[in-house]
Amino acid sequence: MKEIVITGTGIISALGLGKEQTLNALTNNRSGIATLHYLKTAHTEFPVGEVKFSNEEMKQRLNIPETEVTTRTSLMGILAAQEALQQANLLTPQYALLHPKIALISGTTVGGMDKSEQFYADFLENNSKNDYIATHDCGTCTEMIAGHFGIFFLLETISTACSSAANAIMTGARLIRDGRADIVVAGGCECITKFHLNGFNTLMILDHELCKPFDAHRAGLNLGEGAAYIVLESSEFAQKRKIEPLCALSGYANTCDAFHQTASSSDGIGAYLAMKNALSNAHLQPADIDYINAHGTGTSNNDLSEGTAIERLFIDQIPPVSSTKAFTGHTTSAAGGVEAVISILALQNNFIPDNLNFKEKMPELTFIPSQENISHKTLKHVLSNSFGFGGNDTALIFSK
Amino acid sequence: MKDVFIIDAQQISVQNPLSHDWMEHPIAYHEPYRRAIDPDFKQYFTPNEARRYGKILKRALLTARKVMENTAINNPDAIITGTGLGCVENTELFLEALTFEGEEMLKPTHFMQSTHNTISSLIAIDAKCHGYNSTYAHKGISFECALLDAFMQLSQGEITTALVGGHDEMTPKYFSMLEKTGYLGHAKDGFSGETAVSMMLSSEKNMKAMCRIKHVEMAYGEEVNGVEGVDIDAVMIGVNGATENDAVYAHIGQNLFPEKPLLHYKHVFGESYTASGLGLYAVATCLQQQRIPAHLFVNQNQKELQGVKNILFYNQFENKNHSLILLSSCGE
Repeated sequence: MKEIVITGTGIISALGLGKEQTLNALTNNRSGIATLHYLKTAHTEFPVGEVKFSNEEMKQRLNIPETEVTTRTSLMGILAAQEALQQANLLTPQYALLHPKIALISGTTVGGMDKSEQFYADFLENNSKNDYIATHDCGTCTEMIAGHFGIFFLLETISTACSSAANAIMTGARLIRDGRADIVVAGGCECITKFHLNGFNTLMILDHELCKPFDAHRAGLNLGEGAAYIVLESSEFAQKRKIEPLCALSGYANTCDAFHQTASSSDGIGAYLAMKNALSNAHLQPADIDYINAHGTGTSNNDLSEGTAIERLFIDQIPPVSSTKAFTGHTTSAAGGVEAVISILALQNNFIPDNLNFKEKMPELTFIPSQENISHKTLKHVLSNSFGFGGNDTALIFSK
Repeated sequence: MKDVFIIDAQQISVQNPLSHDWMEHPIAYHEPYRRAIDPDFKQYFTPNEARRYGKILKRALLTARKVMENTAINNPDAIITGTGLGCVENTELFLEALTFEGEEMLKPTHFMQSTHNTISSLIAIDAKCHGYNSTYAHKGISFECALLDAFMQLSQGEITTALVGGHDEMTPKYFSMLEKTGYLGHAKDGFSGETAVSMMLSSEKNMKAMCRIKHVEMAYGEEVNGVEGVDIDAVMIGVNGATENDAVYAHIGQNLFPEKPLLHYKHVFGESYTASGLGLYAVATCLQQQRIPAHLFVNQNQKELQGVKNILFYNQFENKNHSLILLSSCGE
């Protein structure tokens, strides 16, 4: 089986634009979660991890005319994809000499909902905002990102809620192994909308304070937004085009908790199977994992279910575990991409991000999340979990 | 590389539900917008289920249960759905409440079943399947994305069975919006329909297999190729009566397959983002019965064709997304 390597990453989140700002915030324990600024909603009481740019500012950065029809999700997607493509040397003319077949596999669930919720009455009653009817669906978001670059021969959009980006990475790896693509840009993008902020609020899973993943007194999640993509290719192809891989995607698995549309099972069977199958896909043992970047949303239900699954699989060899959602907020469909990039930064820089806001151990679990910010230990294998509504559970393993 | 077969397929659409009746007696429609003919859901769902699940979920779950029952594969290794728009009805209800009633009085019910992946996960919850579970939502090729995922995993031997579905519901409000964008409601003699199709794929050839999937090719922005040197009997295309859409197929028909009879299916099932799932089901049914009924030929003078072995299925969306699927009969 072909070895899949990563040759570029790009990210935008509440922590900033690009890897440098992200790494800086992570290593200095500086969270991006703050009071609401960009989203227009009645629920100003909730802290959120917003990207600190208006749509107009993002358009300016990208030289996109102000009048062009875009959505917040696609603008963030373009910014993140651009950084990944640049690092992988795919925006220079030399790359074209090999005529690589490049695919874009992107995850999103809200798609163009930011505009739909703004203009829904117009959609129904007049013809003034018809352009935004066409940007509502998920696929259009991916096409707007692809349209900015014009280098992709295949586009696919995955929508598995909060594991969308992780599943996009998995499908990307398959397309390369099947010989259908030389290079795949995979990840996801999602802006905060009133639609899902309110949806999560009705489910009573939003914390009014800063979220506290894996804490005994955790009270819900903080929503975040962002986009992140990684560039995948086979190690042979990377060698052929003389680009140094950042790391390998050594394993992946997707399973279903098959328990409830919006809740996780108490034994975390889906999470357990995803991590177990990803290890076996990577031909690794539990003891080989040096760090788990947990899904860790900060909801009562997720952290108990995920924690139970971690204990069942790793028994008495539980590696450092942290959730970085207290830094970024829960970036929903982008989370698998955002946390893949964070996991790769951890791997490259040999550090374990702090699980912010943790105070008290969960009585049901034996372990506490990682409190050390910088570890001098050499990291070799990092496991990243992404779980979605409906029990769509995916685990990815990145290795040096 | 393992062979991949379609073992069974079931549909709920504007034709008689859970039936291949349309092969003999297709119901003809002359209005721009039709909803699916739903079976009597009370026969299949408890009152609680019938109340809780929206139309798209009931149709998806019922077609999935039927193919699982017919194939005796109750725990497929993968459940993969393609849906252009996902759970429109629930999304609309939540969006309307948000728009017209504000942010204070909302209830979670409609939000909980508004995400696209509700379909695949509901099937998994119903059948207690912990295996691979995914959802693709990419406009008019959503179904093909789901099929390609299953095809890769089956042919590489990662899995041996996969339940693949294409599901889209169309509410009156969404239809009126898509009329404004030009996608629906402008065909001279076509109409907008709804899609619910589930099929069981397997890498083990079953006695009752409908057909074999030989190739699945997809491309964006350029014409797709990769199916050459095969003696095909006919090409199924997605003409729907809309000028721009049909011009793309006319070009392909004249240039790539000038000698081959063209078949269509959207005059039977209508247009929808995952209509290609019904198109593929129609091709599979023809190969299972080894005949193409006269009403499927674009050329109205053509008579029923017997003994068909290979049918190519070409789908495109807005002349940007293209897919080619080659299906072959399992008969000797």
